[in-house]
Amino acid sequence: MKFRCERDVLIEALNNAGRAVSSRGGSLPVLSGVRLELRGNALTVTGSDLDLTITMSTTVHGEADGVTVLPSKLASDIVRALEPGRVDVEVAGDEANITSGRSQFAVRAIPATEFPRITEPEGEELALDGAALAHGLRQVVSAASTDESRSAILTGVLMAAEASGLRLVATDSYRLAVRDLSSTSFLQEGQSVLVPSNALKELARLLGDGDTVRLRLGDRDAAFTVGDTTLITRLISGEFPNYRNLIPKNQPACLTVARASLLESVKRMKVVAKEPSTPVKLDMSNDGLKLTVNAQDIGSAAEELDAKYEGPELTVAFNPEYLVAGLDAAEGDEVTLECIDALKPALLRSLGNTEFLYLLMPVRVS
Amino acid sequence: MADRTILHVDMDAFFVSVELLDRPDLRGQPVVVGGTGDRGVVAAASYEARAFGVHSAMPSVRARRLCPHAVFLPGRHDRYSEVSRRVMAVFESFTPIVEPLSLDEAFLDVTGSARLHGDGPGIASAIRRRVLEQEGLTCSVGVAPSKFVAKLASEAAKPRATPEGPVFGTGVHVVPPDGVLAFLHPLPVQALWGVGPATLQKLARLGVRTVADLATLPVDTLTGAVGSAAGHHLHDLANGRDDRDVEPDREAKSIGHEETFSDDLFDPPAIDRQLVRMADAVAGRLRAHGVGARTVTVKVRFPDFRTLTRSVTLPQAVDTGGELTAHGRRLLGSVDLSPGVRLLGIHAGSLVSGGPRQLELFLEDRPDATRAIDDIRERFGDDAIGPAVLLGESGLRRKRRGEQQWGPS
Repeated sequence: MKFRCERDVLIEALNNAGRAVSSRGGSLPVLSGVRLELRGNALTVTGSDLDLTITMSTTVHGEADGVTVLPSKLASDIVRALEPGRVDVEVAGDEANITSGRSQFAVRAIPATEFPRITEPEGEELALDGAALAHGLRQVVSAASTDESRSAILTGVLMAAEASGLRLVATDSYRLAVRDLSSTSFLQEGQSVLVPSNALKELARLLGDGDTVRLRLGDRDAAFTVGDTTLITRLISGEFPNYRNLIPKNQPACLTVARASLLESVKRMKVVAKEPSTPVKLDMSNDGLKLTVNAQDIGSAAEELDAKYEGPELTVAFNPEYLVAGLDAAEGDEVTLECIDALKPALLRSLGNTEFLYLLMPVRVS
Repeated sequence: MADRTILHVDMDAFFVSVELLDRPDLRGQPVVVGGTGDRGVVAAASYEARAFGVHSAMPSVRARRLCPHAVFLPGRHDRYSEVSRRVMAVFESFTPIVEPLSLDEAFLDVTGSARLHGDGPGIASAIRRRVLEQEGLTCSVGVAPSKFVAKLASEAAKPRATPEGPVFGTGVHVVPPDGVLAFLHPLPVQALWGVGPATLQKLARLGVRTVADLATLPVDTLTGAVGSAAGHHLHDLANGRDDRDVEPDREAKSIGHEETFSDDLFDPPAIDRQLVRMADAVAGRLRAHGVGARTVTVKVRFPDFRTLTRSVTLPQAVDTGGELTAHGRRLLGSVDLSPGVRLLGIHAGSLVSGGPRQLELFLEDRPDATRAIDDIRERFGDDAIGPAVLLGESGLRRKRRGEQQWGPS
């Protein structure tokens, strides 16, 4: 294999594909590498941890077709360290030579035959609005669980076809984020897939404004294509929890508050709440809102905020991390927080916006 | 502080004595309770067996070599617990301030019991009488103004094993407040809590052999040799100072189960089944104590006795079998079990009760389910319900506390 290209072209391809390479050293040594395949002028770079595969195709000046696997981190570090400009890559036997100007690197290649065959799902192609999807994912993905040992299902984001369009749902059982993308059509109503949240984080990163996402679904995996990059992820099988019944209607207590003020205030309170389990208490009354944190052996903090409140006087405590995440995702100038009591889920929304909701379970303080 | 009256009550050869209640024919013979298999350890030995050098925590194989004619009995933890509960109830009839240290010993603060039950020596004798009448068991009682002196005093009251047979002790040993130093000073330093082989060696270099030597040693010299905290602690003890209270509600620091298997386990599903079994039992005990665990530790011993532990600290306390199993599995996943597993254990630590608890959206049902499990076990017995993977041909094989504690039979 032999080709030449601009340094930055190669950096982008190696970086994008490299993001699927597991840093924790999986079972197959070959998976610590990225696979490079050259056909004519088309260079395809692939990284995979078997659950997630990212492939980027790019155009180079090809001189001899071929396939090789290079150590992902090393190759990417080398190319990034080069001077900007032309880079020559030539692989002969098990040695890859990377040259630029008067710099020359020789790297031991990994036998390409060991690299697993990644087959793309062959389903019908759907087109999704990339900007809307990226926006929705940023609001929802962080609510998914990162703890595989608790529940694999909760590490996924549900992409469901509703009458109104695509709905994204994620929950780690402590909070639940739901985002409706009403302008985006997706599958047939009632159908859904459960996609690992880490794959969607990568997808959101790849998406820029104006991109279209092409999606193909298989039984076990899904391929998202954005421009020259394709991300293939396994799907999570299993039943997503029935979240619909959880979303309360007509809660008796409703707080309306400026989102930025509450967000800043909770962040200030969080300074004292070092342990994530130290809750921030919200005292809600007709006088407004008071936030307090009491961290044992550390100290305490309190702050009052202007707010509109309808309902009986109520104190509810939340994990400040989760509250901040919800306020971040809610967007808009004002948010509403609807509650029943100190032990039932509280519903956070942007005022007047029905496309996004964030349901948060309180912390019980005895 | 006014003088306190503290009792340390220690049952005499408890496990063996309970066995002898059920097997009176063995009285007067060397009897050893513990793991009876090749890999077991001694849990208790009768005074007749002790005369041959058998003592607890010794490998059963060695005990058998020292005393081949001894009768070896497997331990019956359930039976000992049952007797222990009744004995502790006797203690509690004299004072509410009882701190059990294990099944067979406890501290009692009887300072406030004088008007109702008499002075310390009187209560000590009354307890011995009641336990003997009610349970047919003997115990030794130390009476002193502090916990550690009371414990040493009960030791002085114990029967002793001699080649000619057991010599009965005084049963009660009283150390009055003005007699503490006279009692302590002739004792060897290793009698003090906190003096293990390493400290003993350091003290020996300073010429310290008895508690009296220690008491006269300048505290700076002592802290220089054994460290500041240990030095001050030993200095206090040597001078008879120990202000620790008898704590009736002393919370368990960790709750766990471990088990040595009769054959090393290699099969991953079999190892997993054992994990599920133990996690389920540990979770049940957590809930029984009304606590949750913030750390989960698994312990693995390989056939070559190499032992390792893996721990995880959790953001949120757990108390269900499912949660403990999930964390245990993840910890075991980082361990290469291919050499085989001789012993497996799971421990729940950093126990917390109450405190803030993050509520969960869907799992509101789950505490109910777990509560239902506890209720069913309460009414119909421990084997009435359990994890499905534990279902064998002869029903559920749940882990019981103390089962195979001293090695398989």
